[in-house]
Amino acid sequence: MLKLRHLLIIPLLILLHSSAFAAKLRVITTYPYIASLVKQIGMDRVNVQSLANGQWDPHVIIPKPSYISKLRRADLLVINGAQMEIGWLPPIMQQANNPKILQESAGFLDLSKQIKLIDVPRGVSRAEGDIHPDGNPHYYLDPYNIPPLYRAILKKLCELDSLNAEYYRANYAQFDKDWKGRLKYWDGQMAKLKGTKVVEYHKNYDYLLRRYKITLAATLEPLPGIPPTSKHIEEVEQVIRRTKAPLILHDVYNSDSAARYLSGRLGIRIVKLPHDVGAVREAEGIFTLFDEIVRRLTR
Amino acid sequence: MQKGILLLCLLLMPALAAAQTEEKEIAAPAGSPFNQTKFVPDIALILDFSYVHRNLSDEQYRTSKLPEATNTLDEDKTHGKDNADLNSHRGFNLNYAELTFSSVVDPYFNLFANCELTETGFALEEAYFTTRRLPAGFQLKAGKFLSGFGRINEQHTHYWDFADRPLNYLSFFGISGLNEKGAQLLWLAPMDTYLQFGLEVLQGENGSSFGSHGYNDVDKTVTVKTAGEPNAYVGFIRNSFDIGNLTVLISASGAGGKCRVNSGLDTRGEEGYALHGSTLVGGGSLLLKYQWDSTRSISLQTEYLYREMDAARYQKDSADQVAKYDLTRKQSGLYAQLVLKPLKRWRAGVRYDLMDRNRIQTDDPSAIAPPEGLCRYTGMLEFNPTEFSRLRAQYNYDRSKYTEDGPGYHLRPNHEVILQFNLAIGAHGAHAF
Repeated sequence: MLKLRHLLIIPLLILLHSSAFAAKLRVITTYPYIASLVKQIGMDRVNVQSLANGQWDPHVIIPKPSYISKLRRADLLVINGAQMEIGWLPPIMQQANNPKILQESAGFLDLSKQIKLIDVPRGVSRAEGDIHPDGNPHYYLDPYNIPPLYRAILKKLCELDSLNAEYYRANYAQFDKDWKGRLKYWDGQMAKLKGTKVVEYHKNYDYLLRRYKITLAATLEPLPGIPPTSKHIEEVEQVIRRTKAPLILHDVYNSDSAARYLSGRLGIRIVKLPHDVGAVREAEGIFTLFDEIVRRLTR
Repeated sequence: MQKGILLLCLLLMPALAAAQTEEKEIAAPAGSPFNQTKFVPDIALILDFSYVHRNLSDEQYRTSKLPEATNTLDEDKTHGKDNADLNSHRGFNLNYAELTFSSVVDPYFNLFANCELTETGFALEEAYFTTRRLPAGFQLKAGKFLSGFGRINEQHTHYWDFADRPLNYLSFFGISGLNEKGAQLLWLAPMDTYLQFGLEVLQGENGSSFGSHGYNDVDKTVTVKTAGEPNAYVGFIRNSFDIGNLTVLISASGAGGKCRVNSGLDTRGEEGYALHGSTLVGGGSLLLKYQWDSTRSISLQTEYLYREMDAARYQKDSADQVAKYDLTRKQSGLYAQLVLKPLKRWRAGVRYDLMDRNRIQTDDPSAIAPPEGLCRYTGMLEFNPTEFSRLRAQYNYDRSKYTEDGPGYHLRPNHEVILQFNLAIGAHGAHAF
């Protein structure tokens, strides 16, 4: 019985220890680009951390127990939404058991609600591969879709931490100005690619292509989530020959053997693009993510 | 006569037409002010089907046992499995079709149910609720559920890295694992490293280690009262931390309770036995998982389990004479498995099972010391076309099963190949780590 009593002291000690900290709003984001946006608005008055690493495939994040502990103490959870996290986040949220960040709680923000998604399928069948019933979830890779996201983050931070609202608004105003200035530069650079036909591995960059009037000729995946097959690659080869597409847009996490095969036969250029902050060394924040995408595409 | 039929058709026509329009209205329920179709819970169906080839015949396989391990298979009957574990027949096996339902109940509760459908039966494997809004990191679960003891017990069979249960779990908790009615309280420490404490109060009906129902022999010379219910208690601690791309998860668990087992003591004219005592099971687990990236990983998982059972054993012969002996079992075993995922769709693994200790102490003069060092070697290769389908080939060389024909134990080595097909449709949720 003595032993049991000793065990009960452990939780008490931990509770006391943790209450020594406090004050700063704890924000957890699913992906690094969201953490970068929160950082722009919250600066050093919020404590922000991303669960996923930017080098990983955003669809298949392996849920570690440490994520549960992070969510356990979060005041705010910001997600990409549009079913991007469906394969890994729900059990973590369930186990973290934090009433502040439940779907219906004030401390939960789904950024996809700010954007009108494209490619919403009419019917849904898994025969078509790993499809997203709500539409293409990679909406944040269009720089024009970023402002609605940080506006939503501003609103949420002000709501949860009204004492610092003025501070957040000032950061927002500066960031908004900088972003809009940068958009002009990116527009100028990307204008060179207008009308170009490209091939993608997965439909990661469709919002960006649409924004800058670049046409998608084919994807290396026969169906979303299904790796390239030799038969499909033959078909893609015919499409590239016919359309004279000069670029294959490739992510950093899937095998590029199919792309290299096509490049070897047809001389088509492979452009490895970051899909998130941290995916490549240069993309260390939200500005440099787009700088690097634009630089690699227009090189 | 023909006219009669014609007339009947004419009479029926308006009725048929009315039925048709009614159907149309049902097909478009959006207009109904009481439509509830949007509240349908998440439903999934998971099929497990296999082809098995082994050197033992089905009869030999069925009568081969882990010595001094499982007390009774009666418990497993209640799970609708007809005393059969997964992959128990040569040739084709329809292991199960698992039908799961889950949803938020209201702002305060989640509900989950898992029905295991077999060819001949239906079993409610799990049905429990969890709380959503308890403060300070507490969570309560109650209903029937797989205990959080150890690592593998809580996982559904289709989430395992191999097609079958490790020997130590099979020995101490039987073919359905520690799956009980009860309540569980979890507490997650508010720290950066994952530290969780769990306490469970269980009905304690597990036929391999616990059991609460009392019994008599046929002549009522022996009467054992039903144990106080709930009858079993489980506690566990889990801790996990990351070192770069390496995730470490360790856990320690304990389960204790009264043991009441009756296997034929009340059946006239046949041999039977019963146990009356208490059981303690302790366990420790370690998982190391290293991720190169989101598709490639390697993981090492091992669990060590120890059981101590103190009981009175009642042995009845076919003339219904009952003798009473003291019985103490001290048993332990481990499994260790290494699983490599070199590509997005492929996995390969090896596993080693060992029941190292199998000691019994008894004053029964006819008792024979059971064999120790029971082992099994396993290899598997898996192809996962998508996260919803899996094809797995597994080979087992099993040196753990014995027969008790005649005096003593006789080893029955078993070579088996299992081709497993596991497919899921519907709202198949993401899995925990």
